[in-house]
Amino acid sequence: MVAATLKSRRTTILAAIWIAVVLGALFALFVSSQNSAQFGRLQPWILLASAVAVAVIIVLLARKIAQLVNAYRSGVPGSRLTSRTVLVFGALVALPLLTVYVFSLEFLNRGIDSWFRVEIKQGLNDAVVLSRSALELRMREHDQRTQRFAAALAAQGSTGVFFALEEELRNSGASEIVLYGEHARVIGAASRGVSDSLPGRPPADLVRRVSSGASYVSLEPVGDSQYLIRTAAPLPGAPLATGDARYVVAIYELPRQLAELTDAVQRSYSQYGDLAELREPLKYSFRLTLTMVLLVTLLGAIYGAIYSAEVLFKPVQDLMAGTRAVAKGDFGTRVPLTSHDEMGFLVQSFNDMTKRLRRAREETERSRLAVDRERERLEIILARLSAGVITVNRELIVQRVNESASSILGVNLADAAGRSLSEIAAAAEVAATAEGSVLVAFVNELRTRFVAGRDDWREQIELRGAQGTTGSRALVCACGNGTQAAGDPEQFVIVFDDVTHLLQAQRDAAWGEVARRLAHEIKNPLTPIQLSAERMRRKLLPGLTGQDADMVDRSTHTIVQQVESMKQMVNDFSEYARAPALQMGAFDFNRLVVEVTDLYRAQEAGIEIVTRLEPTLGAVEGDRSRVRQVLNNLLTNAFEALEGLRPARIELQTALREVEGQPTVELTVTDTGPGFQSELIGRIFDPYVTTKPRGTGLGLAIVKKIVDDHGGRIEAENRREGGALVRVMLPMRDRSRSLSARAARPESRRERA
Amino acid sequence: MSSHHPQIRRRRRGLLVAVCLWLFAALPWPSKPAHADPLEGALEIESAFVNVVGGVYQLHVRTRYPANEETVAALRDGGALSYDVDVEVTRERRFWTDATIVTLRLERELSYHSVSERYVVRDPLVEGEQKSYATLEEALADLGSVDSWPILVASQLAEPGDYVVSVRASVRRGRLTDALRALMFWSDDWQRESEWYSWSLPR
Repeated sequence: MVAATLKSRRTTILAAIWIAVVLGALFALFVSSQNSAQFGRLQPWILLASAVAVAVIIVLLARKIAQLVNAYRSGVPGSRLTSRTVLVFGALVALPLLTVYVFSLEFLNRGIDSWFRVEIKQGLNDAVVLSRSALELRMREHDQRTQRFAAALAAQGSTGVFFALEEELRNSGASEIVLYGEHARVIGAASRGVSDSLPGRPPADLVRRVSSGASYVSLEPVGDSQYLIRTAAPLPGAPLATGDARYVVAIYELPRQLAELTDAVQRSYSQYGDLAELREPLKYSFRLTLTMVLLVTLLGAIYGAIYSAEVLFKPVQDLMAGTRAVAKGDFGTRVPLTSHDEMGFLVQSFNDMTKRLRRAREETERSRLAVDRERERLEIILARLSAGVITVNRELIVQRVNESASSILGVNLADAAGRSLSEIAAAAEVAATAEGSVLVAFVNELRTRFVAGRDDWREQIELRGAQGTTGSRALVCACGNGTQAAGDPEQFVIVFDDVTHLLQAQRDAAWGEVARRLAHEIKNPLTPIQLSAERMRRKLLPGLTGQDADMVDRSTHTIVQQVESMKQMVNDFSEYARAPALQMGAFDFNRLVVEVTDLYRAQEAGIEIVTRLEPTLGAVEGDRSRVRQVLNNLLTNAFEALEGLRPARIELQTALREVEGQPTVELTVTDTGPGFQSELIGRIFDPYVTTKPRGTGLGLAIVKKIVDDHGGRIEAENRREGGALVRVMLPMRDRSRSLSARAARPESRRERA
Repeated sequence: MSSHHPQIRRRRRGLLVAVCLWLFAALPWPSKPAHADPLEGALEIESAFVNVVGGVYQLHVRTRYPANEETVAALRDGGALSYDVDVEVTRERRFWTDATIVTLRLERELSYHSVSERYVVRDPLVEGEQKSYATLEEALADLGSVDSWPILVASQLAEPGDYVVSVRASVRRGRLTDALRALMFWSDDWQRESEWYSWSLPR
């Protein structure tokens, strides 16, 4: 900005200098034309001023052209328009100027040449020669007369000289006759004039002439169209070399008419001579002046064209720059209003338009910010919602998804937006995870309903995991059409919540109540029944014989045995229902595994028991006795499953894992038995679910209850190579256990929401 | 475009200037007519002095004017020459420019009378007075002798201080109108001036 101002100021100063120099030169030229005495003094300054003027305008023009070229190359708005205008304007000015220049030069050359034709010069020369001839005749007559008079005077001697002079004056028509003696001394004179002054000295050439003994005659112009014929002749017989010669000088006036004619011829000759001398300088001066005028006019016109174009197109350039700025999104652009004509109206309209655009954009920006705030709020709500929320279209392309959806479905859906839910599920299934199977089941449920044309529904759906696993989920799911306006892309909002644990807890609570009632209601009459049966046996058996005794014996034995069996069952139920407080403490998990397995190895049942223990496992915080029960139940289950099967093998493996950032001990118990029945595997940890002909079906239920109490997780599945696999995950630290136990409880997630 | 190397930009700018200069030089400039210097020769004040006669300061100057064949030819073709003598009397001032007391010019015109074949010397300001000479040398001798030219009176030198008289002779083409002289601005070779001949004025 400052640089532009300086440049503009420099240009203004240069223009002012140029104008001052030109005006000064013109003034000097005017002064010198009025007073030729000043001409010589001012001429160098005028030349210098002209040179400076031309140099300044060339510099100004060169700068302007350079600026224009740079602007053209840089694509400055309006530079092309300005360049075109300057070219057109320059051509319009230059063509007529050059034409006029060429024709003017030709005209001047021919015109000036025509002034000096050879015929005129020859005519003047002829006129001069003719005049001279005419006058020479008269001069010769006077010369001869003077010679005769001189001879007469010489013959006459010194007497009567004055009378002779007077008489000759009267007879010859001379205006003056003088007799000179030695050293041009006047001896005698006769004159027609009234003046009594002495005659002047004779001209030097006259003296030289007569001194040489020759006569002398000359025509002398004396001004005012008057001419004198001066004749002189030496007196014969006088000594010449000593300077004592005597000679007569007679002066005749040329007749008035002849003098005027002579004067006219001379004047014409002189005037022509003056002009002829000026011929070439005049042509040169005219050509140079014309060229200078052409140059200054041309340069000035081009400079003026550039300046005018810049002034004219400045608003257009501003408008173009403003338009570009608006196109780039700068609505704060204001074009300066420089005039109130049509261009000013255009500029005003542009400014109004940018003002309105700016306001509209500000309004849009405010709306966008409001929408963004709403969206962020919604994101926060969705993120903190325990329920999963997925927005999909009918083709199950995911549009939005929250964290809980990933957590419930067990698949990371953070970057699922824009992807097909089916493809994500297929990829997860290929990874062979239980969660992938759940997601596949979820997608199938959705697809089934969309295909059926059901857009708005609310149901509890059961999602079964992969065949042979316990990873089934129960979801309460609601779907609604979330399309906001007609024409918007169709979208459905699916909200779902995992109620698996809730249902399991409800089931566990129900079974606990059943067990408690069984223990309470059944256990009480069992003892009297057993006692009664034993009394009957004790009272009746000794008094009976034969078949009666045998029948009483078998019956009472059966009653007692079944009562014992029922007691065992009731105790199991009691054990299941009872929820004693955990006696937490640190113990070596691997040692516990070794102790329990050693007990079972001691039975020597022909079953191979293999342990692969993680040596770095260390101490685990938990209820040692209840964990021992877990191991007992699992091994018992395995032994019962392997009954009658040989070779049989049980493998126990411990490993250290990290689950949700917490150190966790993983216990895997596998066997080579028949595995779980596929139709029961989903409920294998429920009470009274068993695949064995004997047993209460409480073993795995109790195991699950103990694991749950420890905040752990238990899974069961059939191995591909045959046999069952049970995996127990127990937190190693009591604090993390309490956290994970809380997280596992559905109630706790609901609290978050 | 704007990211070009400065050296390339300078070279382009130089090329542009060269093209402009070439175009400027290629304009149909008129060539000056070539001929010898018509006033070649010595032009100088040989001597000058002032005497006082009855309170009037009279100037006497002897000037040597140039003469050559060009001059003779120009005169014989009908041209005229002006022989001027400029005199300037100034008073010296210590802390300021010199004060001009008087500035005078004596103008005489020399021409050749073709019919009478004589050189005519006249004062262009005084009609009817002229002298004629058979040779150019006589005419120039007459022009070079200025005697008893009254230039100022004693009362003009009342101010105390040193006075300086400066004399200069010049020759130029005569009988030109001022308009014609202005037109001859570019190409008038018929113009010469002598150096100033200065001396202190005795009082």
